[in-house]
Amino acid sequence: MTAGTSKLLSIEDAARSVPDGARVAFGGFAVYQKPMGFVRELVRQGRRGLTVVGSAQSYEVDLLAAVGAIDAVETSYVGLEASGLARQFRRAVEAGRLRVVDYPEMVSWDRFRANLENLPFWPVPFLGGLDIVTTNPAIRRFDCPMTGRIMYAVPPADPDVVVIHALAADERGNVVTPAKYLLPQSQDVLMARACNRVIVTAEKIVDPTYIRRHADHVQIASYQVEAVVELPWGAHPTPALGAYNADPNAYAEWVGAADSDAALEAWLNRYVRIEDNDAYLNAVGGARLARLLDLGDLT
Amino acid sequence: MTAASATLYETLANVLADDMADREVGFTGLLTGSAAAIWGTGIPVVAMELARRTHAPDLTLLLAGCYHNPDLSVLDRMPDCEHDAQLRDLPAEARTRDYPGQWALKRGDVTFGFSSAVQVDRVGNINSVCIGPHDAPKVRLVGPILQPEHMVCFRREYVMMPRHEPRIFVDKVDFVSGVGFPGGRKGREALGLDWGGPRFVMTPLCIFDFDEEEGAMRVRSIHAGVTADEVRAATGFDLGPLDDVLETPAPSPERLRLIREIVDPRNLLIPNIERAPDARETGADT
Repeated sequence: MTAGTSKLLSIEDAARSVPDGARVAFGGFAVYQKPMGFVRELVRQGRRGLTVVGSAQSYEVDLLAAVGAIDAVETSYVGLEASGLARQFRRAVEAGRLRVVDYPEMVSWDRFRANLENLPFWPVPFLGGLDIVTTNPAIRRFDCPMTGRIMYAVPPADPDVVVIHALAADERGNVVTPAKYLLPQSQDVLMARACNRVIVTAEKIVDPTYIRRHADHVQIASYQVEAVVELPWGAHPTPALGAYNADPNAYAEWVGAADSDAALEAWLNRYVRIEDNDAYLNAVGGARLARLLDLGDLT
Repeated sequence: MTAASATLYETLANVLADDMADREVGFTGLLTGSAAAIWGTGIPVVAMELARRTHAPDLTLLLAGCYHNPDLSVLDRMPDCEHDAQLRDLPAEARTRDYPGQWALKRGDVTFGFSSAVQVDRVGNINSVCIGPHDAPKVRLVGPILQPEHMVCFRREYVMMPRHEPRIFVDKVDFVSGVGFPGGRKGREALGLDWGGPRFVMTPLCIFDFDEEEGAMRVRSIHAGVTADEVRAATGFDLGPLDDVLETPAPSPERLRLIREIVDPRNLLIPNIERAPDARETGADT
């Protein structure tokens, strides 16, 4: 047994490897387990011109839209669920600063399945009549060569880089998914298998022994991963299943930050324009974080 | 307790339950916000649970599309998140955690679903993407989400609209994110759509269904205490003559008892009788 090569990077170096203008897929789904710490670092570094490709987006896109870091979003949903519309996203789109390419929800997943299968497109028979087609020249209608029926060729997601937040990984990039995972975690797995560049932020970097003990739950293997970063509470304020729940106070603060430019500046000064992730956790406050723990069912 | 004392929510759940058959598979999201949660989750779940306790014991309820026949009796409150720890720990017959999962979406395994929208038009197209042009919208909304699949891959769809106003019920939606019956059934066939489409559109004032040949939405019934003129005034397109439209049928006393004592005894799903306003107030309430 060899020790293998460590892929452990600092959050700064990992984020620096995502260039301006990149197509980025962030793991998680809607308001669940988003790699928010990584997104905050991208904002800290002043990244520009990104395209976010995914299936359902929330706080990560709203933050990136607020600071003008993204030019386009390709997805089925951008919103904050219980906290309402993503107001920064909405403003950017209405002002013409941000372009949205709308895809149906499961077709958004299928676009990653196309990459996973290394296919040039994903065939979809049910897009007739939708303005999703009329507003998107990248979707091409064709006649099925077998049956002649109407089909649509949907382009693959084609991310340049995938960033996910996991509970545990070793330094070589083996990633453990909890046994009782849900859809947002399987989205991470699909994305990680569909891209050549995968960056994993993890609550904890664990020993190889821990990985071997959970081999049945290593759905993302080391050879799929380019870099790992230890980033405690790296999904905050979104939840990380098996570690902590969503932080409703932080959600409310973010929603309030959309009230004015001054409110956004104050929010950025407090939570982003600071030293690092540890400084972020201190800004949120240990007592508040401690109350978000997910105890599971203890059986 | 008499049938006349049914709330609007109970009445709509009862109509929906009557439209469901045994062995069907019903899909509902887990919506948030009081009105959206009642119309998009509460009423649909009450309807499915009522059907399961009457004529459809083998109907499968998919809560948040993932949790098969969950045991809601163990809940202290309705969950307000679709994929968090509370749902992970909710007892159920099966949990969907992968795509593709248990139900084969494109083979039509899901019989019916529930959706909502910001606009609905006269042919039943729905929109949750934008108001105004797509590339320069006056209002940008959340996006199509699962509406395209709901309106085509499911075998039928119930569109649940907490508000009934002319700016919502429009002649033509600004963006089609879910396809109704443009050109009727033949129109759908010409678009390559195999099955599905809206069955009912429910509002605080009335229930619409569709002339599937003509592809036109029509008033199926008007709720008790609402006039035809009120429905007309709240709708942004012509509804034709409404003189012969029936009143939305109230649930039987036995159905009401089932809803109140068995299905939703703790009012987790829909507000109780004291707090449930009548039809018109419901519209204003949201």
